[in-house]
Amino acid sequence: MDMIGAQLVNGLSYGMMLFVITCGLALVFGILGVLNLAHGSLYMIGAYVTYSITVNSAQNFWMALIIAPIVVAILAFIIEMTLLRATYHLGHLSQVLLTFGLAYIFHDIAAIIWGSNVLSVALPPSLAGTTVLFDQSFPTYRLVVIGIGFLLAAGLWYVQEKTRWGAIIRAGLSDKEMISALGVNIKLVFTVVFVIGGFLAGLGGVIAAPVLGLYPIMEFQTLILALVVLVIGGLGSISGTFTAAILIGLVETFSKYLVPELSLFFVYGLMAVVLVVKPNGLLGKKVAA
Amino acid sequence: MQSTSNSDDKADASGSSSETIKIGALLPSSGVYASLGKNLSQGMELYFDEINWEVEGKKIEIINEDSEADPQVSLRKARKMIDQDQVDILTGTVSTAVAYAIRDEVDSKKIPFLVSHAGGNDLTRSQRSDYIWRSSFSSWQIGHSMGEWAYKNVGHKIYVTAADYAFGKEVSAAFKEAYTAAGGEIVGEVYPPLGNNDYSSYLTTIGGAEADAVYAFFAGSDAVRFVQQYEQYGLKEKMPLIGSGWLVSEDLRESQGNAPEGILASTFWDYNINTDENKAFTAAFEKKYGARPTLEALEGYDAARIIAEAAASLGGDVSDPDQVVEAFSNVTFASPRGEFKFDKDTHHVIQDMYITKTQLVNGKTENEVIETIEQVQDPGK
Amino acid sequence: MKKGIVLTAAVALLMGLAPFFLSLFHLNLFTEILILGIFSLSLNVLVGYTGMVSLGHAAFFGVGAYAAGIAAKEMSPNLLATLPIALIATIMVAAVIGMFCMKVSGFYFLMLTLAFSQMIYSFIHQSTDLTGGSNGLSGIPAPVAGGIDFSNPVLLFYFILGVFFSVYAGLSLLVHSPFGQVLVGIRENETRMRSMGYNTTRYKYASFIIAGALGGLAGSLYTSFNGFISPIDVYWTMSGSVLIMVIIGGAGTMAGPVLGAALIVILETIVSSYTHSWMMIIGIIFIIFVVFFPKGLTGIAQSIMHRMTRSKSGYKENHSKAVLKKNA
Repeated sequence: MDMIGAQLVNGLSYGMMLFVITCGLALVFGILGVLNLAHGSLYMIGAYVTYSITVNSAQNFWMALIIAPIVVAILAFIIEMTLLRATYHLGHLSQVLLTFGLAYIFHDIAAIIWGSNVLSVALPPSLAGTTVLFDQSFPTYRLVVIGIGFLLAAGLWYVQEKTRWGAIIRAGLSDKEMISALGVNIKLVFTVVFVIGGFLAGLGGVIAAPVLGLYPIMEFQTLILALVVLVIGGLGSISGTFTAAILIGLVETFSKYLVPELSLFFVYGLMAVVLVVKPNGLLGKKVAA
Repeated sequence: MQSTSNSDDKADASGSSSETIKIGALLPSSGVYASLGKNLSQGMELYFDEINWEVEGKKIEIINEDSEADPQVSLRKARKMIDQDQVDILTGTVSTAVAYAIRDEVDSKKIPFLVSHAGGNDLTRSQRSDYIWRSSFSSWQIGHSMGEWAYKNVGHKIYVTAADYAFGKEVSAAFKEAYTAAGGEIVGEVYPPLGNNDYSSYLTTIGGAEADAVYAFFAGSDAVRFVQQYEQYGLKEKMPLIGSGWLVSEDLRESQGNAPEGILASTFWDYNINTDENKAFTAAFEKKYGARPTLEALEGYDAARIIAEAAASLGGDVSDPDQVVEAFSNVTFASPRGEFKFDKDTHHVIQDMYITKTQLVNGKTENEVIETIEQVQDPGK
Repeated sequence: MKKGIVLTAAVALLMGLAPFFLSLFHLNLFTEILILGIFSLSLNVLVGYTGMVSLGHAAFFGVGAYAAGIAAKEMSPNLLATLPIALIATIMVAAVIGMFCMKVSGFYFLMLTLAFSQMIYSFIHQSTDLTGGSNGLSGIPAPVAGGIDFSNPVLLFYFILGVFFSVYAGLSLLVHSPFGQVLVGIRENETRMRSMGYNTTRYKYASFIIAGALGGLAGSLYTSFNGFISPIDVYWTMSGSVLIMVIIGGAGTMAGPVLGAALIVILETIVSSYTHSWMMIIGIIFIIFVVFFPKGLTGIAQSIMHRMTRSKSGYKENHSKAVLKKNA
């Protein structure tokens, strides 16, 4: 029983981390309809900036928590203004190529700045301890991640459902012409959303770096995982992403526990089953092509 | 990059009159293994610096190609180096899959291929070739050397975990074979996927097992995450962790913090081997690159030396592949890792293996050699 | 029209003479381009003509490659055995996966194909006894057929060139046939095609199986060519590269995917010999294409041709319009 309880905590923590990593991608895809394949790269930059800030003093982690997402948000702003804005009208395939090209470029930039060694981010002492639950030691930070995930989900839900900005954003998803007819600057909305997406990707980098670490090609691994979460949850739905992240966290954790040799298979199997049964994901709206 | 392309492909096929010895180095400079590839080339360059890039009046030239650790790409690059650049000797490959991929190509074209890292057993067993010689290690040597020692010195019940790919499976199989032969019992096994970052679920499972110790094979980022999380999940106090040298390798320990303290590992070279050759090597490396050498740097250094000594014994004429591999087989020297010699039957290195223990020294971790297992020879089948 | 035939014949002749002026290395590179050209042509049936963007096409390449490799090792390296076995295996796999994938569209289709291909990848990766696992399947004997030993790279080149031309010609006929026009109709507006009485699902399913089968053909040729196959060639990054070949070349054109394959292979081979940062250079090239040449290589060629012919004979129809615009 203790074992199952402990694995539940592991799964929940992993799932929340997935949520923090994915929510920026979900927001951007849901509203802009842009499949940002450079999302993993933005996440990576966030993680590397965190590393640079904390390398001399673990206490600086608190500072990184603010600076790294802002750095990534600025980067996202530049990308949106210079490249993305000019190519919205070209459609998905072009954006796939564009953002994948960006991912390639960021990969080498990161290799030039930070090298190709495996790196770690140290936590400040207040987060670095262990906590005993179900007769098992857990790193305290894993429990903190669960809290961060819930907070972030609540915050995003509040903004989307209860604020004027949220209303504009939701409307932008369903009818872009209507929004501009209402006198809202749709270009500005797009820029803001993409920058927020970048901020969240950077935040994901900070939160996940102490657990997942930094290494070459980390961004592609993260990207594919985030895409899976996004799709299982359904496009354009933050609550779907949230549900999917927890579901994947639990499924992956328990498959590693019960049938470890098939754990790779399980995540994709889950995705296939969900899509075949519910072609728009768990909670997704039908998004026009 | 010192890449010269020979536009005239019908260049003098006999090659005996050529002024340079061309070495093709197929190493990853991008992707997950990029840092290993870099260390291997640094080691090679260090040795060639020492001999002024010259053997018996012939210039040594390295042609580098990025293997990307991708067999398909590597095969293309190997063909380029063999057919277009007309290299005399091929060396490298970090990934075992890459070595297998180019195996038939070098075998049929009779290009001496000195494997300087890839450790898959079959390369010097069922896939053996007259032209393939390996100076690094085999997964069997890594795993097997720990088996008996662990039974005598660590405990009689062990939990085994390794990254789920061919190499991880081979190393752990060799360990289990030697450990159970000595009388030990394997109480459980689990194989997380390669490139796994979150070991929480596995560690919870392992923590529930009744074992005296845990044997782990992980490398690169997997090793950093596993060792750190092993401590974070409170297993370090419960069960000692043993494994291979890659668990606590020179380039990873800084990222691991103090977590690796107490780990026992088997390896064929360590920074702290206390011999004159090793001290000279580490000092020269640090002087040139400003960082400590890694195991891979040593592999590159030795590979360069083997090539240079083989070439020297042929008076600098490396045009006949059969003579080159014959010369390889006779190379022996005092390497920083200990006595170096090839097994002429298997084409694989016979070498000392070391058991190291990771200790805290002045707030940093250091590996200390606590046991030498002499002249470990791969069975070759 | 006449001009087109002359051009095609000239290109074909030039390709046929390649072994006489290319070095062995370049000939091998050319052979590889032809194989990957078949592979990207196969994906183009889906992406370019039917408007279904797949990120799981490596699955078919892999199934074909492994089926051919295992057949060559365990039974016979005869192409008359390995090719049919590879084709049958991929058609079966495509038929099953396609059945499920027809239920979804757009981005969900892309992700479902990804899911299936990743499952096939993990199956291949885990079935060490059958496939060699992460080490790959090595020691695959060189192909033979009718007393000809294809271990000679020139003979193998001619064989693969023959297959390439057959596939290219076959697909050209297909996309201009009524069947192909229905596919294009689905790409442009599926709802309209359905209201016109076409069973669009059945057409899409057929397109999926054709694409899968030809992908498997490419995979089996690849095994014959290299004598080796590893799980990396079944991983999603392989699906990503072939998709990029199609987009860069020009989706929905016949020559585009082949040119895309050639460009990517040549770029990767050449650039990575000179710099460690080859990914950055390739990334920049991707972006340049999106910003300046959104219709890909064929788009560039067409606009040049257009400019040249407009002065002489006036307007010529542009085949590949709107392909990039309308997709997902």
